[in-house]
Amino acid sequence: MKKLDLELTVGLFIIAGILCLGYLSIKLGKMEMIRGNGYDTYALFSNTGGLRTGSPIVIAGVDVGRVKTILLDNYQARVVLHLPANLKIQEDAIASIKTRGLIGERYVEITPGGSEKMVEPGGRIRETQPAVDLEELISKYVFGKI
Amino acid sequence: MPSTEVCMDRTYPFRIFVSLLLVLGITVPGLAGELTEKMKQTTDKILAIVSNPALRDPSQTKERRTLIRSAVDERFDWEEMARRSLARHWDERTAEEKKEFVGLFADLLERTYLSKVEDYSGEEVQYEGETMEGDYGVVKIKIVTKKNRDIPVEYRLKKRGNDWFIYDVSIQGVSLVNNYRTQFNSIIVQSSYENLVKRLKEKVEMK
Repeated sequence: MKKLDLELTVGLFIIAGILCLGYLSIKLGKMEMIRGNGYDTYALFSNTGGLRTGSPIVIAGVDVGRVKTILLDNYQARVVLHLPANLKIQEDAIASIKTRGLIGERYVEITPGGSEKMVEPGGRIRETQPAVDLEELISKYVFGKI
Repeated sequence: MPSTEVCMDRTYPFRIFVSLLLVLGITVPGLAGELTEKMKQTTDKILAIVSNPALRDPSQTKERRTLIRSAVDERFDWEEMARRSLARHWDERTAEEKKEFVGLFADLLERTYLSKVEDYSGEEVQYEGETMEGDYGVVKIKIVTKKNRDIPVEYRLKKRGNDWFIYDVSIQGVSLVNNYRTQFNSIIVQSSYENLVKRLKEKVEMK
């Protein structure tokens, strides 16, 4: 009887350990098992500057969603944004790619517009601002001087 | 099987129609160049004014500014630009406030950019193409300075009636509306709309 108790405890501990590992890998990999009841919109950028799947989407500095996929579409980047269902984005909102700090991670910032029309699920945020390439700016400054 | 053959026959003309539409849809914007043509007209008009030697004289400055402003007014949709820049604060304004704001906004842009236009010294404008999608269009141009530096500029246009008007300009990827939207929003949130109008008026009156 005593032996069985010990085996049972060890087994339970191992199962708990595996569950913890699973939870960690999902959490750290920013993988979402259940996509929630949000919706997708997309935006076209001429340059994403190294934006990645899972990069945050931010409004007024508040994290509101994640970049779902990034594809090449007619030599432009088509970025699919996953947003919560209760967050309405106006048709004239502007999506811009920004950098945290000078060389930090890239994220998408949405500046809300004033239009009465909203972006439908699956619709497009028309106004975009590509990533500012710091290197390009520096080289322009450097070579422009000559 | 006879039933599938009938079915295929029926869809055949439809499929031709669809592929025809696709082909036309892809080629039409490339052929038309309607937006580029319109932007070219306005740009040429302004360039003619700034490079007119008769208007170069300091005594003619006022006349020259009026001419430039009227040429710019023909192509810019100030109301749309002001509405987009004020974004969600636009709806909270009364009709008179909106009217006043549009005027102030146009004056602000005039003050900020007119001097740059007047400094024109033979920069070249290259038209890089356009895209049109429903009521929206984009014209890409490149300004080549005398030092051979390229400045990419994008005009965003919207159709109103039968003509196209600019509602945003993005220079080197930075949108004008987004720039003002962020600034206006932070002023209104931190103080008030009245304060924003006060600051705009000060800026416009400043020489």
